[in-house]
Amino acid sequence: MAKQQVPIIEGLFTWPSQKPQLLASKCKKCGSYFFPKVAYCGNPDCPKDKANMEVVPLSNTGKMYTFTIHTAQPAHPFRMEPFKPYGVAMVDVPEGMRVLGMTTTTEGLKIGQAVEMTVGKLYEDAENEYITWMWKPVEK
Amino acid sequence: MKPMREVAIVGIGQHPWGQFPEKSMQDMGVECIVSALKDANMSWRDIQSAAFGAYMWIADRGGVPSLLMGTSIARMMGETGIPMVNCVNACASGQAILREAVLAVASGHVDTAIAIAADKSAGGFFRPQLRDASPTKFDRGGENDTDYIRFCMTGETNPAYWAMELRRRMYDVGTTDEVLAMAKHMTSEGAVHNPYARYRKVFTMEEIQASKYIADPLRLFEICATSDGAAAVIVTTMENAKKYSKKPLLVKAITIGTPTFGDPTIRLTFCSAFPRPGVPDLSESRNAIKAIYKMSGLQPADIDIIELPDNSSWHYLVYLECILGLKTGEADKMLMSGKVHPITGELPVCSGGGVAAQGEAVVAQGLSQVCQLVRQMRGECGEGQVKKTKLVNGLAQTYGYAGNNAACILHKAW
Ligand SMILES: [Zn+2]
Repeated sequence: MAKQQVPIIEGLFTWPSQKPQLLASKCKKCGSYFFPKVAYCGNPDCPKDKANMEVVPLSNTGKMYTFTIHTAQPAHPFRMEPFKPYGVAMVDVPEGMRVLGMTTTTEGLKIGQAVEMTVGKLYEDAENEYITWMWKPVEK
Repeated sequence: MKPMREVAIVGIGQHPWGQFPEKSMQDMGVECIVSALKDANMSWRDIQSAAFGAYMWIADRGGVPSLLMGTSIARMMGETGIPMVNCVNACASGQAILREAVLAVASGHVDTAIAIAADKSAGGFFRPQLRDASPTKFDRGGENDTDYIRFCMTGETNPAYWAMELRRRMYDVGTTDEVLAMAKHMTSEGAVHNPYARYRKVFTMEEIQASKYIADPLRLFEICATSDGAAAVIVTTMENAKKYSKKPLLVKAITIGTPTFGDPTIRLTFCSAFPRPGVPDLSESRNAIKAIYKMSGLQPADIDIIELPDNSSWHYLVYLECILGLKTGEADKMLMSGKVHPITGELPVCSGGGVAAQGEAVVAQGLSQVCQLVRQMRGECGEGQVKKTKLVNGLAQTYGYAGNNAACILHKAW
């Protein structure tokens, strides 16, 4: 039987889902977005009122702003088993945010290319696979 | 409110940077205080106020006594009942506590104050301090830690962030591998005769370009190591300064920089940015630089020597541009021209080899830069002394995690 896929930290993206989306906060007053979710709008001119903030799923498509291929293995508490070099990217999404995330591949990454959000496994135990959000290059 | 008084640096003490497993941070701090007091012809009882760097990695070592560094060092120096504050502004802490000491004197609160930072950051990548495995649910709220999230969920280490900024720079303005290697090579020539540097050797272009990628396009030798280090700086009123030092350095300006809302940078420890029109990247750094020029009435052309935060080759380039008000890409040409050579340049930059040659001892880093400026401006660096003789205004800027920055301008006052 297939193992259950569990987010390493729950509450950052819609899950379980066929089309997962990152969960952001949007300010109803000024339209600013924040990821992960926040209690208050970070705009210095907005009132600090929790009622102004709504949780919204972000578009799961975006454009690669920049990336790196990380070849060194980070220390605990980062876990990837087995370890292999991985990509990390900053992606511009249509809501006007720039969002961090790993990439599904280290091959053929390009600034400006279209990407979509998906999930990928970093490690597993006897019951579960532990997943995070990842940016996947798409042909356009 | 009374007008502020002019404040000068009259004593410095520095511990070499490196790895010192046989010493505690407090031991290193005491050594620096003793040498700073000697440099200023003062005794511990002359110090009326003290600001300390609070150690950041207390989950790994040092514990609460190193977070509450002030009273923990006072137990060794001898408790004298003076005001002490512990501050943590990431890598910008050193200059942040110097600002505290300067303001204590400038305001008339006291006449003589000290800033002290001691740090043991040696030992690899910085990582989250959260050790509790509980934040597996983001919605637990109070336990949210974006540093933990970015590290565990995106694998973003500090070099990963720097490498991403660098790759975008290469795409935008064509910065080359050769330029990156040159930033390390050239600064390393300043480290050879700096007794406080950890790596006192010249790194050749070949060995830098042959070093492995840590986070492509940044190579091992283009990223600073993490080190142990400590430093102390004593300040007093300009009026009294000549009693303590033949060569006092006036603190012409000192400030802490923080970001402007809408900065497009996804700063370290965060997972996103919401860029807004007209807000520049690295706004915390630009805000600090703008403020010290305004306070001092000086301009980039007035600066004779610079200590910038070359935590990586990318930093070297962007901070040279930030400090001198250059367009993106112009630092590459300036570097390659040799104008900013640490020893022979007409504008010496990172005269002692910079952060690249020291390795970063987080909270002490800013004070190390200030100590290096003071030694150069006094003309005390021996074989490592810059060739330039007109050293009237020196500028130091420190880069920190999570939007923490600090900068100062020192002015020859004898
Ligand atoms: Zn708002």
